[in-house]
Amino acid sequence: MAISHLIATVLFALFLSFPAGAVEVIANKSVPLAKISLGSARAVFGMRQVKWPDGSLIRVFVLPDSNPVHGALCKERLNLYPYQLRQSWDRLIFSGMAQAPIEVASEAEMLASVAATPGAIGYLARPPQNEKVKVLNVE
Amino acid sequence: MWNEFRNRIAGLLCLGVGLGLGCPALAGGDDRLQLHGFLTQTLVHTDANNFGGESEDGVGVDMRELGVNISFRPDSDWLLSAQGLARWAGEMDDGDPRVDYAFVERSLYADEAHRLSVSLGNVKNPYGLYNTTRDVAHTRPGVILPQAIYLDRMRNFFLAAPGMSLRGEHEGMRHGLNWQLSTVRMEADDPELDYLFMPIPGSTVNAPGHFDGSGSWLAQTMLDLDGGQWRLGLSFGDVGMRYKPALPQPFDYPSGKVTLKPVTLTLQRNLEKVTFTAEFSRAKVDNESLAINFVSQGWYAQATWRFRPRWEAWLRNEAIYFDKDNKNGSRYDSLLLERGLGHSKSWVLGVRHDLTAQLALSAELHSVNGLAMLSPADNPDPVNDRFSSNWNMLLLQAAYRF
Repeated sequence: MAISHLIATVLFALFLSFPAGAVEVIANKSVPLAKISLGSARAVFGMRQVKWPDGSLIRVFVLPDSNPVHGALCKERLNLYPYQLRQSWDRLIFSGMAQAPIEVASEAEMLASVAATPGAIGYLARPPQNEKVKVLNVE
Repeated sequence: MWNEFRNRIAGLLCLGVGLGLGCPALAGGDDRLQLHGFLTQTLVHTDANNFGGESEDGVGVDMRELGVNISFRPDSDWLLSAQGLARWAGEMDDGDPRVDYAFVERSLYADEAHRLSVSLGNVKNPYGLYNTTRDVAHTRPGVILPQAIYLDRMRNFFLAAPGMSLRGEHEGMRHGLNWQLSTVRMEADDPELDYLFMPIPGSTVNAPGHFDGSGSWLAQTMLDLDGGQWRLGLSFGDVGMRYKPALPQPFDYPSGKVTLKPVTLTLQRNLEKVTFTAEFSRAKVDNESLAINFVSQGWYAQATWRFRPRWEAWLRNEAIYFDKDNKNGSRYDSLLLERGLGHSKSWVLGVRHDLTAQLALSAELHSVNGLAMLSPADNPDPVNDRFSSNWNMLLLQAAYRF
């Protein structure tokens, strides 16, 4: 009895600390995918994969490192920490091997930018209500 | 001399700030054309010996790095990148602006899980975790790089060099694997290399000839597990240069190749608050002109603790031996001038605060035994016992990037 209580408490605590779906990966309607693999999502947000399967250029939008939604993207969707992504970007940008993502200041700006930019990918805390933007499931 | 120096700094500053101010406009116009840069100033105090300028019993202000890069991606298959760099490091580097890298990259194959590309031009050489961006403070694990692996006196062996590079990546669910192979001709025009490899026994000067770079190659493969929570790397290569005597024998050393065959292992564990990093390197050195060969060895282990948002602290232990079978230096006493020049062992303690995403302030304390990381150019009088083999160093650094 005591053990099942303990398990229930631990599960509840885990559920509270890792709320599912706290961040959604979004893309411009032009992006020719409905879902994206974990490896590919890491490569896209890591600025290493630069083209979609149809050959079009990927445009990556991000929030500032300190934004909680950015933290949620890293930990819950990409399974890494924000500092790792930042270090990886810096090494690529300052050795000329890749370009930086486009940083936007807020989720409102994120939605507007992804909606307006062909090939764009980004993320929001909740699924967007915008016909020019779709949710990409990371699998 | 001073005026020329000052004018040069002012010019580079204007260039950097001007480009920095121009950056948002460019980014706002078209993100396929990007400008980034960095400016770092380091202050040095040592209780003995000079590091990066005149630091002994005072404050050295001669360590500075300024870089600006531009990149353009006309479409998803091509990337053009170039970076200009000015670096000041006491007598070792005088701030002459130079091209750090400039190359064209063409994608040969790309899908969701695999990528293959080729680069032509002045390409950056991956070596260990940090070599490709060794002059960019924000990418370093401390104020200066661990000298046991990234010895600044030998930086030219691993810098960008004219050549060709092939790069591949594979992404899986649980792992990522990337590799790079570069064939280059190293830039051997560097007084530090003359000091290191062409010393004249019993004197403080080097031989009168010069080095020309030879055909060289460097390779690296890096395995990331679980999004880089574990990183395992192997870097290796064969880099060389040829000594061209200035005087006929017996007044100079004979012509000959100096080759370095390094192997470096990298292991990193990334946790949310803590990162553990260790790198171990061995390099076979063959000097035909002096008819000697030996094996250099170096390693470091570092723990970095992100104890609050925007704050981190680190502790590092490192050691380098120019000749691993002769750690106390006796075998080449006459060449290495005195004991202690052949090795360096340090404890390093540091802290960094990111005031903003662009500006970081750092402090680092070194407790050193040995002299391997010191430049003879900054310490011109070792014979008169000016070197002290146990010494301490405090570094303060402000680093800006955009």
